[in-house]
Amino acid sequence: MSRIMTIWLPRWPVQRRLIESPALRKVPVFICRRERRGVMTIVSWAWVLPPRSVPVHAGERRAAPRIPPGMSLAEGMAVLALAHGSRACQMAEIAADDPAADRAALERLARYSRRFAPIVALEDVERPECIHIDVTGTAGFFGGEEALVHTAVWTLAARGIHARVAIADTPGAAWAAAHHTEQLDDRHRLPPFRRPRRFAVVPPGGQAAALAALPASALRLDAAVLAALREVGIDSIGGILKLSRNSLASRFSPTLAVRLAQFTGARAEPLAPTFDEELPRSAQAFDVPMSLREMGEDAVAAILERLVLRCMSPLTARGEGVTSLQVRFEQWAGAVEREPTPPVVIDVGLYRPSVAVRHVVELVRLRMSRVRLPREIEGVAVEVVATAPALCRQRTLFAAERESAAAEVGMLFDRLAGRLGTKAVFEPQVVNDAQPEHAWLGVPPGGQSGRMTRVHGSGSGSATTQGRQAVPAERRPIWMLARPVPLDVMAVVPAVADAGRPPVRFRWSGEAHEVTVAHGPERIETAWWRGPIVRRDYYVVETQTGERFWIFRRLKDGGWFLHGVFA
Amino acid sequence: MVTGGLLEKVLQSADFAGFSAGWHEADVVPTGFAPLDRLLPAGGVRRGSLVEWLSSGEASGATALAAAVACRLAGDADHAGDSSSTIVVVDRKGRFYPPAVLGWLERARVAGRPVPRLVVARPAHEADEVWAIDQALRCHGVAAVVAWPAGIHSTAMRRWQLAARASLAVGMFMRPLAAQREPSWAEARVAVSARPGGSAGVRWLRLSLAGGPWAGESQMQERSVDVGLDLARGCAATSGPTSPAQPSSAPRILERERMACRAS
Repeated sequence: MSRIMTIWLPRWPVQRRLIESPALRKVPVFICRRERRGVMTIVSWAWVLPPRSVPVHAGERRAAPRIPPGMSLAEGMAVLALAHGSRACQMAEIAADDPAADRAALERLARYSRRFAPIVALEDVERPECIHIDVTGTAGFFGGEEALVHTAVWTLAARGIHARVAIADTPGAAWAAAHHTEQLDDRHRLPPFRRPRRFAVVPPGGQAAALAALPASALRLDAAVLAALREVGIDSIGGILKLSRNSLASRFSPTLAVRLAQFTGARAEPLAPTFDEELPRSAQAFDVPMSLREMGEDAVAAILERLVLRCMSPLTARGEGVTSLQVRFEQWAGAVEREPTPPVVIDVGLYRPSVAVRHVVELVRLRMSRVRLPREIEGVAVEVVATAPALCRQRTLFAAERESAAAEVGMLFDRLAGRLGTKAVFEPQVVNDAQPEHAWLGVPPGGQSGRMTRVHGSGSGSATTQGRQAVPAERRPIWMLARPVPLDVMAVVPAVADAGRPPVRFRWSGEAHEVTVAHGPERIETAWWRGPIVRRDYYVVETQTGERFWIFRRLKDGGWFLHGVFA
Repeated sequence: MVTGGLLEKVLQSADFAGFSAGWHEADVVPTGFAPLDRLLPAGGVRRGSLVEWLSSGEASGATALAAAVACRLAGDADHAGDSSSTIVVVDRKGRFYPPAVLGWLERARVAGRPVPRLVVARPAHEADEVWAIDQALRCHGVAAVVAWPAGIHSTAMRRWQLAARASLAVGMFMRPLAAQREPSWAEARVAVSARPGGSAGVRWLRLSLAGGPWAGESQMQERSVDVGLDLARGCAATSGPTSPAQPSSAPRILERERMACRAS
């Protein structure tokens, strides 16, 4: 009995844009295609972080506006304006449909998904949104099927990708379960039952019973077949299963019988990897379990160097460099026969494609210092997960060979991210957002490779290039506190009459500061669609000693806070 | 025979510590602040060296001045060449606010040069911070490394000095004035204190050499200088300081507020 894991990436064309431009997460994004008469129709749309204010009722969530694919952009905007106001339409980002780029990105993700099992294929449709993985016999390495789906969801979530994952006997059943994880019976949900339910495991041989309640559309049927089924009052998989197989072929389109047979497993649906070429991998197994401590760092590095070199050689010949690499240390389970022990996996990502073996090995070693390695290993495997065209450069004949400055800087970012973590190294970009906390975001440095990394910070407006400021720099401190600190202030007159005036004295960090000059106020007020409303009057105050601070008065209650220091 | 006094003089000299051996005039870059250039012994910041900015208080403006000098170093044509230079900010406390500085990098674009890159690294531990500074200083293509190391071990600082020298990066370290008593491998230690009386966009700072191999040299004529920092552009201010004023009784309503009111 085979077991298939399906990863569904809802609204993939939008998700791809969000991965490339994280600043779009707070605005509505429409992917549109221009039709013959110039009408723009919506291919996909999403608003990842819509406004949280104006709740419908306590405890209820505001329903997302229903804008199906194929609707014209004008209609879609009207629906959006009804739900969130005309301001939402002004914020909306409209992008052109690019099916080739969507497919290429999905193939990259499919290659990345080979960390779960070696046989990976895309859904066999014109605009795929699913990745099928044959996990027969491999789920044990991840601690079981339930742990595997959990790992898959959160591995992708950590990279800013929203996915729903299900395991079943057939690709058809796994596809159905992945698309309806929230509708599945509680027995097939994984604890904890958090919303949204993003994973499901259908027990072996149990798809007919477990998925009977799902709608007929979960069988991957086209609209004509679904309409024909609705005419006879059949709207669920269970209803179709009750029909006689002989009557299906005569009464409905042959597609229905094929899809049903694929769903139950009566008809094989082999996974056909469509990738152009296999990415290199290399492994070394030991005759006897080896202790990492006894081997020593240099010996491990020598093994890694040899394996990485084996992987690099074919890539170099193709003019490609590695951008993502996985190293697996196969643990020795012990003399007593037990369940297979999962390998310790080290993922290495690079900001620029590299063919430098030593650099890659150094990155692996940096990550190794942060990972708890097994005491004894049975083997080491290196697998290239993603590649990109290598940047060619002319070698100098006489001058000492040295990497170009740009290449060295790229390697520096790789090293920093390898040891500090990918979120700890970023390139700040200014965002058009009035609220100072959200006026910038950090993106992965470089950005030329197709690496998918969550951004740092949370800007909501549209990102501008580095240095293009929405607010003059002289009004912004060079240090900003993570959270505004309440100040103990003294005003000239009582608080009621004191509105609009900065304090004459305040105490911070155990010291009293006498204010001599104040510049401001600069009122910062966020709109209702941003969630909790922020209304502040900011002042740049200078003390007797010439020190400058950035303080604000909260208009809601008149409280004073320190938000930044002109360090 | 070397007398005790002579030996001490030799040991304290700049050449013995490797500060000035093998340097070229071309390695010295003006900071863009003429008084600061006059204060610094080399007439500017020397590429491949460390500079400590010792501030009298957290809000003294030392970081802003160091960042302005770092932008100037990164935007310098000789170093930038065909590709843009990089400034690495090692910010362990996570306080650095990039919008205050990003606009300053645009000066290079106005001058027709590639805009330098600003990259922030946030190490979680002190050991990672020391390592990150070391790695950044070793990298060719990095113009300056800005950091706030709390306590610097002499060995680590010596390593940074050698790393900077190999790559011609400049290490800019903001430290409290109390660190003046600690030994240092920095080429210059500049004490920074705020001066009251600047306008909204201009800040005046008083600088003096607080240590370093040249701090005690007799030829230093100027012991303390005032520099004006244009906070909007990150360069020297043209106008002089004004006398401190009283808190404004009629606060100026900024254009932004007007726009916000109009929008609401």
